[in-house]
Amino acid sequence: MQTLVDSIPYVNLPEQHAPLKSDILAAVSDILDSGQFILGERVAEFERQFAQMCGVRYAVGVNSGTDALIFALKALGIRSGDEVITAPNSFIASASCIAVLGAKPVFVDVRDDYNIDPDKIAAAITAKTKAILPVHLTGRPCEMDPILELATEKGLSVVEDAAQAVMAEYKGRKVGSFGKIGCFSLHPLKTLNACGDGGVLTTDDAELYDQLKIMRNIGLRTRDDCVMWSHNSRLDAMQAAILLVKLRYLQDWTQQRRQNARYYQSRLAGIPQVQVPQENENETCVYHTFVIQADRRDELRQFLSARGIGSSVHYPVPIHLSTAGQGLGYPAGSFPVTERQASRILSLPVYQGLTEAQLERVCQAIEDFYK
Amino acid sequence: MQVKQRMQVKFSYLDRQFANVDDYLADIREVALSGDFTLGAAVTEFERRFAQLCKMPYAVGVNSGTDALILSMKMLGIGAGDEVITTTNTFIATVGAIAMTGATPVFVDNDEGYTINPSLIEAAITPRTKAIVPVHLTGNVADMPAIMEIAKKHNLLVVEDACQCITGTRDGKIAGSWGEAVGFSLHPLKNLNVWGDGGIIVTRSEDLYQKLRLFRNHGLVNRDEVAIFGQNSRLDAVQAAIGNRLIDQTEFITNTRIANAKLLDEGLADLAEFVHIPPREANVKHVYHLYVIRVERRDELLGYLQENGVEAKIHYPIPVHLQKAAGHLGYKEGDFPVAEKDSKVMLTLPAHQHLRSDEIEYTIDCIHSFYRK
Repeated sequence: MQTLVDSIPYVNLPEQHAPLKSDILAAVSDILDSGQFILGERVAEFERQFAQMCGVRYAVGVNSGTDALIFALKALGIRSGDEVITAPNSFIASASCIAVLGAKPVFVDVRDDYNIDPDKIAAAITAKTKAILPVHLTGRPCEMDPILELATEKGLSVVEDAAQAVMAEYKGRKVGSFGKIGCFSLHPLKTLNACGDGGVLTTDDAELYDQLKIMRNIGLRTRDDCVMWSHNSRLDAMQAAILLVKLRYLQDWTQQRRQNARYYQSRLAGIPQVQVPQENENETCVYHTFVIQADRRDELRQFLSARGIGSSVHYPVPIHLSTAGQGLGYPAGSFPVTERQASRILSLPVYQGLTEAQLERVCQAIEDFYK
Repeated sequence: MQVKQRMQVKFSYLDRQFANVDDYLADIREVALSGDFTLGAAVTEFERRFAQLCKMPYAVGVNSGTDALILSMKMLGIGAGDEVITTTNTFIATVGAIAMTGATPVFVDNDEGYTINPSLIEAAITPRTKAIVPVHLTGNVADMPAIMEIAKKHNLLVVEDACQCITGTRDGKIAGSWGEAVGFSLHPLKNLNVWGDGGIIVTRSEDLYQKLRLFRNHGLVNRDEVAIFGQNSRLDAVQAAIGNRLIDQTEFITNTRIANAKLLDEGLADLAEFVHIPPREANVKHVYHLYVIRVERRDELLGYLQENGVEAKIHYPIPVHLQKAAGHLGYKEGDFPVAEKDSKVMLTLPAHQHLRSDEIEYTIDCIHSFYRK
């Protein structure tokens, strides 16, 4: 009989936090002693370290990855009537950030590796296109060279949706350093995770940096000088303090996830019903999710579940087929790769802290299912 | 008159409020160990209790008081092409929130109590007017019966900005119970505060409640189904845990602030030629998020108080219609004489629940010594 102890959940936040608990509570306690709950030194320090880690000059902490995307587009002047190109197989926020500004999300199908197909972007560009929003899905960097080349040629801005890809590299450079602005999520389920919502933007542009800092703080340049109308979307000082504790471990966690991925890649290679993501040349993937494509996906998922193994699907409904996306005018069949993947993709547990024995149990279960 | 020995009277009370922090940290530890950082039990519990506190059926926790206003207006269908009437004497976020929906802010001057003057509202109504956003500034409750009558007559929505006014009442009716929706702030310096940004919306409309819950969470009906394109604006579970502990103290916080305001009112009464205390309406329970008076030689007095350790402040020195952000709205100096004059004479004194009586006396003494020296 399977007991709870034997189960391998899809994520395990309590386990992640147990060894960090005293450091986290001490960091929170320091915030209390300072009374500085809003912005201030801890937020600035987190921004400094995050920018440095991404190899950019500036970072700006905000309330969520979604807000990071909204602000990035807004700061670049995207507005009603504009079009922004992105992928239809992402988390809903990659499209809603465009839609809430009154602009139109225009989708381009993905490749087998789940990222936007650079060869198909040019055909989607119209006179209204203002920006491209490539999503580094699963923690794999998009193929940035052709995207940037095309953007330069057509005079478009590039905003990276790096919500799932902190520390990922393309040709030795970190994601978040390619576009005008990079957008990251610090959601609890991300590799670098706050204990609540959080997000951060990266940029090399001093002017955009100044603008983003004002935008996240209700348009205030100083306490009493309001220079533009805007939202309130600040990374909490308490979350910044917690993130500073976690930043010390990020490299190690990323290595562990990559190691886990390598285990799956070699161990599952011989199962013909399963397609395992491989790392391309020029890429360092960070495996926010480890997404396989599997025959009889739903049955496999149930089989794993019966053996106490958690899994997930990112994402079962492509955005153009969601209720919210129906107004965009893309019928089923518009994006064959994405739509085919939607019924085959399965995310396996890949978080740091998984033991080799646990990884082996997952692989064994998959093997047993197809026997 | 000689000022007594110098004291430090701080505007922020956070160090005193959280001097004994172990219980809070224990609550946070519980959230951390549950891994339930996004929405979940702590948030639901806080929403339930907050709705109960306001004697209203529904509450929705969001990321800030600003977002509470933006989301409320958006879900009520306010957007580009609409006009929304509010006051110019308010925190910038009231107006920023209107602008963020795409609507145009339209200003009306305030009355002696720092809230919107209802007798000036009708003149500002045009065919494009969609809503009125009265602000319960300083913790005073705007004249809601008069405002509701105008709204009804002209078929306008009312969204109350109660960011500074938790549990204030007028005629025994609680702030936030008049409009279609009401936004509250839980910012660290608010009467009911959390440890970072936070806000909450209260409404009696189930339809609006459901829309708000969708919109604050990406429009997600469940993990995988998206009904509308939304935003991410959730009250953090960690902050809700703090709120759940503090909400029990709301009555103590409110009553102490009211008592402190009364001490200040009485202590300053004999300076009537220099210090003008706003009218105190008998049918209003003012909760004194801010204790704001009008004074002669304001900037000099402010400097004097600060020199003597009293952290007085100004809320707010620039009326919103004169901010750079408002440039495109076409207002000019002289448009709102009460608000413009107020911005030059208003002064905020510390009145928070952690002040000691000797600190209040010291504040009163300092003001006496300034005017009587």
